[in-house]
Amino acid sequence: MIKVTDLTKKIGDVNALNGLSFSAQNGQITGLLGPNGAGKTTCLRTVFGLLSADSGHTEIDGIDVAKNPMAAKQNLGLFPDPCGLYERLTPREYITFFAQLSGLSSTKAKAATQDVIAKLSMEDIADRRCQGFSQGQRMKTALAQAVVHNPSNVILDEPTRGLDVMSTRILRELLKLLKAQGHCVLFSSHVMQEVAALCDHVVIMVKGKVIAEGSVEQLCEKAGKTTLEEAFIALIGSDEGIAA
Amino acid sequence: MINLLKVLYKKEVLDASRDKRSVMAGLYYAIGTPIAMCLLLSVLLQQLTSPEGLKITLINAEQAPSLVAHLKTNEIDSTDDKNDAQLKPITLKISDDYQKNMREGHPATVTLIADKSNDKLGKHISRIERALASYNSEVASLRLISRGIDPSIMRTIAVQTHDEATPDSKGGMFLGIATLSIILTVFYAAMNLAIDTSAGERERNSLSLLLSHPLSSLQIVLAKSAAIATFSMIGLVLILIVSKITYGLVPWEQLGFSITITPTFMLFCFAVCLPIALMSASLQVFVSFMAKSFKEAQSYVTMVLFIPMALSMVTTYDIATDIIQWVPIAAQQYALIEFIKGNPVPVPQLVLSTLITVVLFAVFSWLSSKMLKSEKVVFGL
Repeated sequence: MIKVTDLTKKIGDVNALNGLSFSAQNGQITGLLGPNGAGKTTCLRTVFGLLSADSGHTEIDGIDVAKNPMAAKQNLGLFPDPCGLYERLTPREYITFFAQLSGLSSTKAKAATQDVIAKLSMEDIADRRCQGFSQGQRMKTALAQAVVHNPSNVILDEPTRGLDVMSTRILRELLKLLKAQGHCVLFSSHVMQEVAALCDHVVIMVKGKVIAEGSVEQLCEKAGKTTLEEAFIALIGSDEGIAA
Repeated sequence: MINLLKVLYKKEVLDASRDKRSVMAGLYYAIGTPIAMCLLLSVLLQQLTSPEGLKITLINAEQAPSLVAHLKTNEIDSTDDKNDAQLKPITLKISDDYQKNMREGHPATVTLIADKSNDKLGKHISRIERALASYNSEVASLRLISRGIDPSIMRTIAVQTHDEATPDSKGGMFLGIATLSIILTVFYAAMNLAIDTSAGERERNSLSLLLSHPLSSLQIVLAKSAAIATFSMIGLVLILIVSKITYGLVPWEQLGFSITITPTFMLFCFAVCLPIALMSASLQVFVSFMAKSFKEAQSYVTMVLFIPMALSMVTTYDIATDIIQWVPIAAQQYALIEFIKGNPVPVPQLVLSTLITVVLFAVFSWLSSKMLKSEKVVFGL
């Protein structure tokens, strides 16, 4: 479970987070929806303890990230934007490396890596160096890295960017599987179809603040629209960011 | 903690070893420097020991056959061929009344015509002047003898020099340069890797991913430093082996001394340089993280490496004051020089400077790990 309470964060002169509060429950897929520059990435980085909030706090499974970052990070898997691959390592080496960093022993890490490679059907690229990978191959590798150690919370920053149809379907299946296993899945996106198809709970944020949250149906109802996209525009009050 | 360090270290070494260009750049230095130095030394030695033939223009040579013969024994010859490569623009003019004055015991005039502002001619002119002076004193001695006077009356003091230098200690300057190249390897062999693994890692966005895992920033910094130091030490071993081979090929005997790299020296050097390699690695990581981009890091690291180079130079050219002999790098290089000369190693200086080196390693590592906690550094804000 991820709980964010009243976060504020100033980067330069911009209030990137401005009293942000929401929570993402176990066994649910929570979508963080917002136009470009809404503070989605800043929010996720704060959850990871990479940025420290000016005020407010973040809890992962009840552990305060600021107070006990090591224990909090133990229960997290991160799919970052950009991917942060090591170009000279193969996906197998890359995934095993991060599995070990998350606390798995060498043998367990290797077995877990083999599992996740099979699950994401990436055997064909598993032993090639990441250099020259297509965007989709990069995303798969990063995704495998995020879930290899079977963390109770998985955070994904724009996970569908650059994926082809097949890979998007694999990603969807994987997220649904994580949900069925009782994991807490939190992802940020600005692709409406993706959010509408996957999320049990949608958090809409603009300028560092939550302006509406609930299930897709609840949001549509609240805005009096039939699709999430129209509801989204109605709720944020402009079409800013939709073009992106 | 140790286990995570091992995982991080292994990954750094694997990643770096696949960066062929950076690895090769370091190795070129380690292999190339001793070879280049030995070629240079060989050429230098040849010039020092076998003076090239010198040809000048002689006017009125027929007036002074014995002087010309004397010059010839000093390999100073005359030629009329203007295109002769050895012909220097120096003219020796023997006066028309040379023979007459010689016969009568008066000073006979010989005129040396050359452009003394021409630096390239300087050594040739003084060579001719020396030859003329020796001819002068030879003839003068003969004249004294023919008048029944002991020519040694002309010598008021007899200077005798006892050279206490051993063959090995004579090569001080060359030794300095040889050890300089060895010490600098530790700094330069892994420079590109150091920048790549720190500033490069940030630029490729993998640093923030690494930091979002449950490990401390100190562990990351230590693993990186250890991996960089490993490559520095590989460079060091390489330069020692190449030096051992190439220095064996230099014709040292012509100079009366030699530089021999013995296995014991190689071991001593390895032990002395290990802390330096760690310190150098942590310094380069620290400087690279301070920079905002890869390119910036490259210029900063290059600038910072002038400090060890300066310290090493000071030792090489023997202009070190007593205090500098206690400073890291200078002290260690001094110890290497003494070791190779077969003199007792200055133990207190070596121990203290090594301790300071280790402390510097700790300080730089700590500073880097501090920086990795700052979001400004991690995201290059």
